Amino acid sequence: MKGILKKIADNRNYLVSLALSILAAFLIGALLMLVTGYNPAAGYSAMLKGAFGSSRVFGNTLAKMLTLCLTGLATAVGAKAGLFNVGGEGQLYLGGMAATVVGIWLCGLSPVIVVPLAFAAAIIAGGFYAWVPAVLKVKLNVSEVITTIMLNSVAIYFCTWLCNGPLKSADKGISGATDAVPDNFVFGQVIARSNLSTAIFYSAVIAFLCWYIMEKTSIGLEMKVTGENPRFAFFSGLKKDKIMIWAMVASGAICGLVGMFEVYGYQHRFLPTISNDFFFDGMLVAMIMNYSPLGIILMSFFFAVIDIGAGAMELSTGISHELSDIIFAIIIFLMAAEGGISRAFSAWQLQKKARKKITMDGEKEVQKG
Amino acid sequence: MGEQKVQDTIIQFDHISMQFPGVLANDDVSLDIRKGEVFALVGENGAGKSTLMNILYGIHTPTSGEIYIKGRKLTRHEPGESIAAGIGMVHQHFMLVPSFTVAQNIVLSREPRKMGFFYDLKKAEKETENLVAEYGLKVDPKATVGEISVGLQQRVEILKTLYRGAEILILDEPTAVLTPQETEELFTVIRRIVKEKDMTVIIITHKLYEVMAISDRVGVMRQGKLIGVEETKNVNERILASMMVGRDVLLDQLEKTGTPGQVLIDVQDVHADDNRGLPAVNGVSLQVRAGEILGIAAIEGNGQSELLEVITGMRPLRSGEIHIAGQNASGKTPGEIRAMGLAHIPEDRIATGVSSQSTVKENLIIGKERRPEFAKKGIHLRQSSIARYASDLFAKYDLRGAGIETGAGSLSGGNMQKVVVAREFSFDTPILVIAQPTRGVDIGAMEFIHKQIVAKRNEGCAILLVSADLDEVLRLSDRVITLYEGKVTCQFEAGSIDKMEIGYYMTGNRKEDA
Repeated sequence: MKGILKKIADNRNYLVSLALSILAAFLIGALLMLVTGYNPAAGYSAMLKGAFGSSRVFGNTLAKMLTLCLTGLATAVGAKAGLFNVGGEGQLYLGGMAATVVGIWLCGLSPVIVVPLAFAAAIIAGGFYAWVPAVLKVKLNVSEVITTIMLNSVAIYFCTWLCNGPLKSADKGISGATDAVPDNFVFGQVIARSNLSTAIFYSAVIAFLCWYIMEKTSIGLEMKVTGENPRFAFFSGLKKDKIMIWAMVASGAICGLVGMFEVYGYQHRFLPTISNDFFFDGMLVAMIMNYSPLGIILMSFFFAVIDIGAGAMELSTGISHELSDIIFAIIIFLMAAEGGISRAFSAWQLQKKARKKITMDGEKEVQKG
Repeated sequence: MGEQKVQDTIIQFDHISMQFPGVLANDDVSLDIRKGEVFALVGENGAGKSTLMNILYGIHTPTSGEIYIKGRKLTRHEPGESIAAGIGMVHQHFMLVPSFTVAQNIVLSREPRKMGFFYDLKKAEKETENLVAEYGLKVDPKATVGEISVGLQQRVEILKTLYRGAEILILDEPTAVLTPQETEELFTVIRRIVKEKDMTVIIITHKLYEVMAISDRVGVMRQGKLIGVEETKNVNERILASMMVGRDVLLDQLEKTGTPGQVLIDVQDVHADDNRGLPAVNGVSLQVRAGEILGIAAIEGNGQSELLEVITGMRPLRSGEIHIAGQNASGKTPGEIRAMGLAHIPEDRIATGVSSQSTVKENLIIGKERRPEFAKKGIHLRQSSIARYASDLFAKYDLRGAGIETGAGSLSGGNMQKVVVAREFSFDTPILVIAQPTRGVDIGAMEFIHKQIVAKRNEGCAILLVSADLDEVLRLSDRVITLYEGKVTCQFEAGSIDKMEIGYYMTGNRKEDA
């Protein structure tokens, strides 16, 4: 507890700007509702109701949070070691597809065997798909941003082709998707009729591990130092290349698992629309929170509330759910400017202080005289 | 200098204060500079002398106070205004275009034109020649700047300011990159332009004997305040040093004990390239024994940086052999070489020596972070024992004005250097490779670091030292080699020859037996 309080105190400026940005975003959102002829109070209360109103919608909010949180943490793991993984979407697709294939092919076996194998398949597929750009970066200094973003399309179209070709389901009413994973393999629901499955427990373990490794271990320290100053890491005798490659592989593996959770926890079969830019949303959460694991976990909940709430708001009030995108965009915009704004603020404070000191000194001298 | 001249005030600083976030860099500084004098501004690093000069040059706007140049108040606080008022500044790092000729550099931004449009190179060269003749600063207008020596480049910088009509010349640590001979020449030039051209020169330095040699008056700054202004003839180096530090400083002989033991660093015919892929180290052989300090004296850019990087594994070895404590270290990584018993203080602490965004505490344990005393099973960090360890080092190395949770990037240069020294020395390795141990470090810290280095030597460490400060090399080393263009030009016992002679070998002259 003391640690958390200290952390809050250390990042006071940042958190204050964050709170102000969020407030400003909601105010602008309210203004937009007013201008377009809606009642902001009704809009926002519909949003809250849409995210918390029943156990079913709350389950959906939590399910959304898991996706954001894991993809956000995946970004943070790479970024911590100095690699910017923009390829999570592709890693998510391949991980989901690999887990699906395992589930379909081994349909006769016991879930005790198949589910762990599916986990392994998702981890290997996602990890491998991140390993390639990581090695290119470390050995040949090829920008990982470019390679990962290009590899996204490759993975997405490859999976789309599989869904429409070799793995196309013959089930009635299903087109352009794989067969379903057998019912005895998929995750159970935690809240009835919601999207929330037992993936929440796996996700909690992953999130805990991410936080623990990044914040509490020598590995996390080595990652941080490598990411911040690779030359210093090399100089200090750290295995910089290995650290960078493994951080990226871990990032990809987490994304692969997100893909698997989408299939096993919700869709139950692989659809080419399995992710609607889920990774990029998580990446934004990570960037807004400066890649802090704890911050990502908290902020992903907030984003999930707005995202799920906005959908419900549209249904009940007619306010377009795109309002949530506008709110996100404003928060991101203001946080991107945060550095500049807080610098300007502290410069202003300093000047004020200096002026005060000078006038005080002047008064003292006057009194002396 | 005549009595008449001394009376006129050319620059007046009137109660200047400069507040940076967390630092009061200048604290109510009032100072008059007289026309036609050489004024030396001395002080430890972070004392505020560069800030004061940057305010004069218009780079910073003072938080409070006014500056008057020839009686006129500066209002806009930008370099254009100061240059127009007659200020010229030669920065420590030259602002020249290496691929341009001397003349092109001098006229840059004020090029003479033909028909109001075309660059008139001939006229540029002519004007440069006139300038050279007028001030007696000899340099070939047609030479390419990248190919002339650092001393000549400095002249080009001075000429550049003169071309823009400077009457007041600010020189920021002008001798840091010069050989003793070049320093002498610079001083001759300064004396001449002051005497014959009625210029005013302000020189920022931390070398006190230079203050004594060149200045008429000297101002001492400490912690943002101007401590005192004295006629140079009324003070001596010791008085100035104690004014700077605020107490008596004894830069005395360091006590060296013991006799050299076995060879711990053995370098044979090493070749290596610089960052551009050009040969930088061309067949260097050297040996360092336990309990001795081998110093390398060289002007910057003569392969000494690359040599140290090759020995410590930071730079690929092209050919040759390196043995560290008897083990073959040729082409090994820094991690492998450290494991052989070597610690390394890099020349550029910000780029190589610290992780700026990590805390002091984290910077102090890097390299030891998996040891059982700091991490359970090598993984789970023991925060309390790390904090205890860091606090101990912190106290031992006297890191003032910061905490172990401070971000390393926000430390002053001296404190950051102490963090690097503390970490590297606490590996307790038998071999130390040290580059620029006190660059940008104040006298107090310098004294401390020197004592630590000699203590390591007396404990039996083999130490290889490189410094751009020749005095430092001579003060610490038992033996010295000079390097020129990546080759050893001379090898001698410290104290056996004088500085002028060393300068002679540093500029490429070879001793027969080297």
